[in-house]
Amino acid sequence: MSGRRAPGAVPSAQPLLAFRRWRPAGFGPVNWRGLWAIYYGYGVRRFLRFGLETLAGPLVSSLLFLLVFVVGQRDLGEMLPGVGLTEFIAPGIVLYAVAYTAFQNSAAMIVMDKMEGVIADVQMAPVSPLEIVSGFVLSAASCGLASGTLVAVGTAALVEYSRFDASLIFGFSVATALLFALMGTIAGLWAERWDHYGAVEGFVIVPLGLLSGTFFSVARLPEGFREWIYFNPVFYAVDGFRAGFIGQAETSPALGAALLIALNLALAVVAWRLFAAGYKIRP
Amino acid sequence: MEHQILSLSATRVRQIGRVNWRGLWTLYMKEVRRFLNVFTQTLLAPMVTTLLFLAIFTLALGGGGREVGGVAFATFLAPGLIMMAMVQNAFANTSSSIVIAKVQGNIVDVLMPPLSAGELTLGIAAGGVTRGVMVGLAVGLGMWIFVPVTVHNPLFIVYHAVMASLMLSLLGMIGGIWSEKFDHIAAVTNFVITPFSFLSGTFYSIERLPDAWQVVAHFNPFFYMIDGFRYGFIGHADGSLVLGLAVMALFNLFLFAVTYRMFATGYRLKP
Repeated sequence: MSGRRAPGAVPSAQPLLAFRRWRPAGFGPVNWRGLWAIYYGYGVRRFLRFGLETLAGPLVSSLLFLLVFVVGQRDLGEMLPGVGLTEFIAPGIVLYAVAYTAFQNSAAMIVMDKMEGVIADVQMAPVSPLEIVSGFVLSAASCGLASGTLVAVGTAALVEYSRFDASLIFGFSVATALLFALMGTIAGLWAERWDHYGAVEGFVIVPLGLLSGTFFSVARLPEGFREWIYFNPVFYAVDGFRAGFIGQAETSPALGAALLIALNLALAVVAWRLFAAGYKIRP
Repeated sequence: MEHQILSLSATRVRQIGRVNWRGLWTLYMKEVRRFLNVFTQTLLAPMVTTLLFLAIFTLALGGGGREVGGVAFATFLAPGLIMMAMVQNAFANTSSSIVIAKVQGNIVDVLMPPLSAGELTLGIAAGGVTRGVMVGLAVGLGMWIFVPVTVHNPLFIVYHAVMASLMLSLLGMIGGIWSEKFDHIAAVTNFVITPFSFLSGTFYSIERLPDAWQVVAHFNPFFYMIDGFRYGFIGHADGSLVLGLAVMALFNLFLFAVTYRMFATGYRLKP
């Protein structure tokens, strides 16, 4: 009790409990510690705990895919002028690993936590919906990029990349990782059971990835289907990413980048609003 | 009154003959219902994925009317892809059934009933074979729309479809019993099943391989089932057909014996 008191005045009653002390410390505009906890503790660490399954699995299947092309299919000519089949396909396989891992991480994580009821632990914490979504998406995207880096190193054993344009490679892989992490977040929120998750994977993600021009140039498509591939956003991602390795693209990478940024922003808003509204995660 | 109570206590135990047919049927139907319950994931998704594989491989590799084994590339590829879908799904069915039951602890519900080790092996394996063959039919019908499918010898098709599904069902059970966590079975799938099925001549005629690898390919049982199955469609085989029939039969007998012993001794099943 410091401070001077007027003589004869009764000391003002102290509050029974100092509630003010218990209020959480001011977080400032962003709860950085909470964000980090969700990003690392909740997402990345869980991914690394299953290291064999999550990192080695995509690596092996991607390399097998590539090996099938390298071993069995020599002398097949060029896919684009001056670009052989394997150099054409390898970047797409790397990007597919990025996309698939990013999707799987965010979607499976959310579905698992919803099934086990522990998603409430995240919702109860003093983090805003935007921070939760950012943590989920960034962690899934990082896992996707980690997986893709490993696959890229693995493919370098089978394919000789002629060039390495860091800005294209980095930019398009990050955009793809974020895109699929966001799609995974939205799909995870929507899915109520594991077979819903499986349906999204089997009927949306795999077709988007396989029909993205990873394995064929647009010119190889039959006449009636050529226009359709331009509606697949993954096509632009693969095309721009591949341009970083082979130095030529089928569409303009700038257009692809703009499209991916716009799509990412739109999906980020959707994911954020769904979390804020508690879509299928709040009773 | 007295009489009725006594008659209750005198209810006879159901006599089970040499084979517990009803138990076997119940176990089999449990396995079949398990995957039919989520048929979008277990039948439709593999069908879509396999058709996409057919599309991308034909587009990437079949350019310029290329022929493999005397037929168009898509016709060569189709049977291999059907087989790949069948074996992956047969494996997934039995392995997931056992691993999930082990992790959740309800494997006792399968081990407690009066079913012998042979009946357990047969019932669960038959469930996997059913899924494999159903996926094969679904994929085959889907492909029939896009690719001209010819049938050369239906006996080879049926024999190799059933034998390959059985082989992978048994492998799935062995893998499932061995696994203690989901990670373990995922590792078996990623590092054993996927490599064997990819490198078995599904996507190329093994004549294209370097000589040393051709010899290695002949030691891969997956090669014989795809080769024999494809012979049933296109009438051309890379390896010996009789050897293929024998390898499949003997390998299945061996795997059945292993699985039987695992159930009989309770390896990683009973405390």
